[in-house]
Formats: sequence, structure tokens, C-alpha cells
Amino acid sequence: MKTITIDPITRLEGHGKISIFLNDAGDVENAYLQIPELRGFERFAQGRRAEDMPQITSRICGVCPVAHHFASTKALDAAFHVDPPSAAKKLRELLYCGYIIYDHILHFYFLGGPDFVVGPDAPAAKRNILGVLEKVGLDVGKDVIKHRAYGQKITAILGGKATHPVCGLPGGVSKGLSKDEVIEIKDMIVSCVGFAQFTLKVFDDVVLSNKKYMELICSDGYSLKTYNMGLVDKHNKMNFYDGKIRVTDPDGGEFALFDGKEYTEYIGEHVEDWTYMKYPYLKKIGWHGLHDGKNSGIYRVGPLGRLNASDGLATPLAEKEYKRMVETFGGKPIHSTLAFHWARLIELLYATERAKELIEDPKITSTHIRNDVGAPSEGVGVVEAARGTLIHHYTVDSHGLIKKANLVVATTNNAGAITMSVRDAAKAVIKGGKVDEGILNHVEMAFRAYDPCFGCATHTLPGGMPMVVNIYDSKKQLYRRFSRGVDE
Amino acid sequence: MKTKPRVAVFDFADCEGCELEIADLEEEILELIDIVDIVSFREVMKEHSDTYDIAIVEGSIMRPMDEARLRNIRSKAKILVAMGACATMGGINKIRNQWMPDDVMTAVYGDADLEGNPLFDVFKTKAINEVVPVNYYIHGCPIDRDEFKHVITSIALGKKPEIPRYPVCVECKKNENICQFELGAFCLGPITRAGCKAICPTHNSVCEGCRGLIKKAETDCVKDLLERYKLSYEDIRRRCTMYNFGREECGVDE
Repeated sequence: MKTITIDPITRLEGHGKISIFLNDAGDVENAYLQIPELRGFERFAQGRRAEDMPQITSRICGVCPVAHHFASTKALDAAFHVDPPSAAKKLRELLYCGYIIYDHILHFYFLGGPDFVVGPDAPAAKRNILGVLEKVGLDVGKDVIKHRAYGQKITAILGGKATHPVCGLPGGVSKGLSKDEVIEIKDMIVSCVGFAQFTLKVFDDVVLSNKKYMELICSDGYSLKTYNMGLVDKHNKMNFYDGKIRVTDPDGGEFALFDGKEYTEYIGEHVEDWTYMKYPYLKKIGWHGLHDGKNSGIYRVGPLGRLNASDGLATPLAEKEYKRMVETFGGKPIHSTLAFHWARLIELLYATERAKELIEDPKITSTHIRNDVGAPSEGVGVVEAARGTLIHHYTVDSHGLIKKANLVVATTNNAGAITMSVRDAAKAVIKGGKVDEGILNHVEMAFRAYDPCFGCATHTLPGGMPMVVNIYDSKKQLYRRFSRGVDE
Repeated sequence: MKTKPRVAVFDFADCEGCELEIADLEEEILELIDIVDIVSFREVMKEHSDTYDIAIVEGSIMRPMDEARLRNIRSKAKILVAMGACATMGGINKIRNQWMPDDVMTAVYGDADLEGNPLFDVFKTKAINEVVPVNYYIHGCPIDRDEFKHVITSIALGKKPEIPRYPVCVECKKNENICQFELGAFCLGPITRAGCKAICPTHNSVCEGCRGLIKKAETDCVKDLLERYKLSYEDIRRRCTMYNFGREECGVDE
């Protein structure tokens, strides 16, 4: 098979499209995911004023604009050689927690959760937020809406608006926090801590205490022994906003610990001619095809990737939940793809606790929120987007204009793992050429765990992302086609 | 009682942030459902119908296949609403139009062979009204939730929505902000359509013009400001390259 490798890394977006190839016996030979749409942000950037970047790149995705906004702002800090004042860093991180709160709640109750809360075999019409509410009660529904709105409100107070914030500037933020706003935010956060604990309890009651679900979660079809990646603080605890990138191997040992700016030494990108999806891999291991294990450079990011790549969480309640999760799976690393859901809820609790620490810090109302910038050159900014490690890399000329921009997006980091999970799930359900609509849910479950964000494709509420599945026979002729949510 | 108008929401190339703004109306969406029937909205519901009165379209047009799909939507809808900067004027996506599509493709995908794939058959970015007639506009990046409710409610009641034709400066002043020009920054507020509650300058950031330009004649109220900083409409317009790429003034029907 013809292959091409491209360095540096770029991104893809658009609707999800899966192609499954069968062999002569009608079993799955291979399965690929395609993300076909071009907007061209890397090209947009060239020649623009560097300080435009946090605005422009947040428009890549209306679901996670905050992650792009701050990866971009941090890349500018680095490019302009400026370290923001401590209060500015705290404000950014607090806003970031608001984003994680609303985004992780969205995923559990609206997107990924229905598979579990309502059940993987429930009819599609029930596997949605309404089905979830039926199971957990309407009052909970109101609480879900309330706390998601709190996350958005916190983001809006600090960022100017919840979608596409405008506060990030090289060297700091545009606006500080008033005493009244501190009180308003604190009340919301205290409530969010309780709600996060409650959500973990729901997961306990509905998923962990159900033997059938646990068997599914631990089954081989949903397991991948890959490397894991995530940002960690100086104690190797998981961090969303700042730190070094840590990579652990499939046995759990530390494989690499590096600064964001060194990413090109560690991450390579592989392209094959049958798909436009790009596959990042660990350069030092190399690209050896789509398989897992220690000899394959494929790694995972996102909630499970982060918890596997770190030594736990820096807040007490979340750390306790983390230990319980590790114990349940009999130690680290955890390779079950469906454990992403549990990890996501532990992170939700962490985000609320961390937000509480930040808002209770008296120095957060400091008016010293921006430092002067130096002469521009090159900078890399890394944050943990809800879906995983996000890297922005800019080269800025002496006039402050962008010469070159590279974006390594969270979902792209998971591309190899998602493709394998899709293939394994398809292999488990398609035998002897027999396929039916039911495969859609199994295939969906495999990649929904990653909460993949293809700019457009995945944020379908409730439960049914627009998707086309094409199945080809051994002569590469179209054999069956399933689609939904796509007006073709 | 008259039957409720049927509303369908569609998206093209964009970030889906405006659709999320609708989804994030949370309980307020119930007030809307009182007056309209939402029959298709991929982002929040699985049901889909091809029979609708009002089509709300988000995103820019990038490919022949998008044009065909949009024409089909237009042919079914009595009223078509362009929602968000990508749809109303091309927005961020129009920045791409400085380069040839092939050049952009190479910047993003390198040497990968994409010939003959209709998904990558990309032309220059178009706003919705460059392909089909648009009846109403909901401006902004993202849209303002209150304005969205106002526009949809007005249409449902058969009234013309009231969209500001005056500059952002009016709302900025109302918020008692210090002028961004006074702070040494360059702000597009004086020639940008209000209606956003001057959210960016209120957060101590400059206006980037995401709601599009107002007509030159409507800038009379900021005459003093323009004089003070020795600026003309054209001087500011030349800086409108983030959302208003290639635009000279606001469109006739906006």
C-alpha cells in the first residue's frame, strides 16, 4: 500500500465517514475513518497580525473555542517572550475550568453517556438525553442544564462571551475580576463541585454496579494497549492549562517528558493515500501501521490518556476517585476504551475543585493582569483540550506578523487509536458478510468514547452523530451503505 | 389557531458555534417551540423533515456540492435566514480567498493526492447570498442569543425584525466604556453594526467587525470620534480583514 509521510502536522475537520473493507470470506479486513472538509486555517494565518490568532483559531470549533483560544494565547506568550503575571494565569485557568465543566457535562449526559445510562442495546430512540432523563429523573435534568449553564456563565464572565472568548492577549488577559464577580462565580462553583460528585454517583449506580456493563467495558473488543499522552505539573499530576507533556508506555512506565516547544522531536505524522486522516505517532518508536503495543508509536490523548500519563490529580476528591478507578481496573495503565467515560467524570470533579481553589485565592482580583511583550520570534502553546493535547505553533516575523502556523489538534492525536477502535468494533460485529443497522451503534460506541471533535461531525445531540458507513467487498466495490443525519 | 411555521436548521462550512448558541438557550428554547415547530436541526435532534417554511442556514459555501445542497434548501423554504458571520458574509472563511484554492490545499494537506474527490473540489468561499436570495440575516460570530429569538419570533409573527443599523460605538458608550482609540488601540466599532451589546470593547478588547459593516451614511453619529482620531470610514474599512474580507459596505438587503 502506497504511503506518504508529512511533517509538519496539520489538521482535518468535517463530517465523519467510515469505510469498512471486507475480505473474500466477508469478514472485516480493514476499516478507515475519513474527515473530509477543507477550511484551511493554517493558510489563513499567514501574514496576519499575531494577536489575531486567538480570535481566528477559536473559530475552528464552536465546541472547544476556549482550548484553541488559550493554546493560541500561550503560543503568543512564548513567541513574544513574555511570562504573564500570576493573576492572569489564574484567570485563564479558571476560565478553562469553566469550559471543562460545561464540555464534560455535555459529553456525559448528552453524547457518550446515553450508551451506558440507557444501555448499549436500548433502541436508538432511547439512547439520548431524554432517555437519560427518564432513567435518572427530571430533577436531575434541570440540574444538568443548570450546571452546564454555570460552566458557560463562568466562561462568559471571564472571557467576555462563552463561545469565542476575547480575553486572551500575549502577556496576560484583557480584563480582571471584580469582587462581585468573585462572589457570583464562587457560588456557582460550589454548586458544581456537588454536581460533579453526584454525577460520579450516577455512574456508580448505573454503570459500575451493572455486571454486564463492566464486562463490556473490560472486553477485548474495546481495549487498546497504546502509549498515553497528557500535560502534567511538576509533581506529574494532570493539568489542563499548563505543564510539560508526558508520555507513558503501554506498561505504564514513563517514556518521555518534554516541553511543548520540543514537540516536533517527539511527534511525527503519517499519511496514507486511502484516507485524508493524518496519524500522529511517537517519532522515537516510529510508524509501524495501525496496531497497538509497545512497538507501535500510536498513542492516546483525552481523559483516559491524561490519567494514564499522569500520577493522579492534584485535588483531594478527584484524587480519591482516581485511585478508586485504578483499583477497579487492577492497576495502571487502563487500556479499556470505554473507561474514557469514567476518566472524564473524574476530570469534571477535578475541574470544579481546581476552580474552587482558584476563586478562593485572594490574589485572583489583582489588577496586574498583563506584562509587556518582547520582540517576537517563534512560540509553541500547549493546553489539554477536553478531548486531548492541543498544540499551536507559530513563527512570527519582526513586524509581529505570522509567517507560519501549525496546529496539532486533540482529535488528530487520537486518529490512530480511533481508527483501530472502529476497526476492532467492526470486526467483532461483522462476520461472513452479514451486516445490519446494529453495527452503527457498536461502531459509534467505539469512537464516541474519545468524544472526537471533527469540527462539525460529532456534536450531535442526542446520541446520533451524522455518519456514513460504506462497506466494500473484497473487490473494493460498494457492498452496503448506511447513513444517517446527513442530508446528501 | 394558525399552524406554527416549520423551521429547519442547516449548516455548511463553519464551527457550529451559532447552532450551539441556539442549543444553549436551554429552557428559553421552550418559548420558541411555542411559536415554531423545529422539524430539522442535526446538531440537537435526530428527526429530519424535508417540509419546512423557514430555513436557517449556518456556514459558508465552499464547493459545488454545497451550492447544489443550498439551492435545494432554498427551493423548499418560503423564507431563508442566514445565521452567523460565515453565512451572512463569509466571515473568517473568506480570509482564504486571498489565495488560490490549490494553494490552500497544499498548505493544509501537503502532497496528498486529492484529485477527483468532490469533497475537496473547493472554490473560493461564498456567503449564502452569493448563491441564493436571503430574506433575513442574524449577524455575529457567534450570534447573540437574544437577537436570534427576536428575529425568529418576528418572522413567525409576520413582522420585520429590527436589526440595528447604527455602529457598535452607540452600545459601547451606553456601557460607559473608555474608547479603545483613547487607549491606543484600533477598534472597528465605528463602522460595525451594533446589536452585540458591544461585548468585546466592554471586555477591554477591540471590535473586530463580526457583525458586518454599516452603511457609510450611518456613521454620522461617530463623526466627532472619527475627526478626533483623524480617521475616515475607508481608513477603518481597510482594517476590516478578519470577518469582512473583500467587502466594501453592507449589502443592500441586510
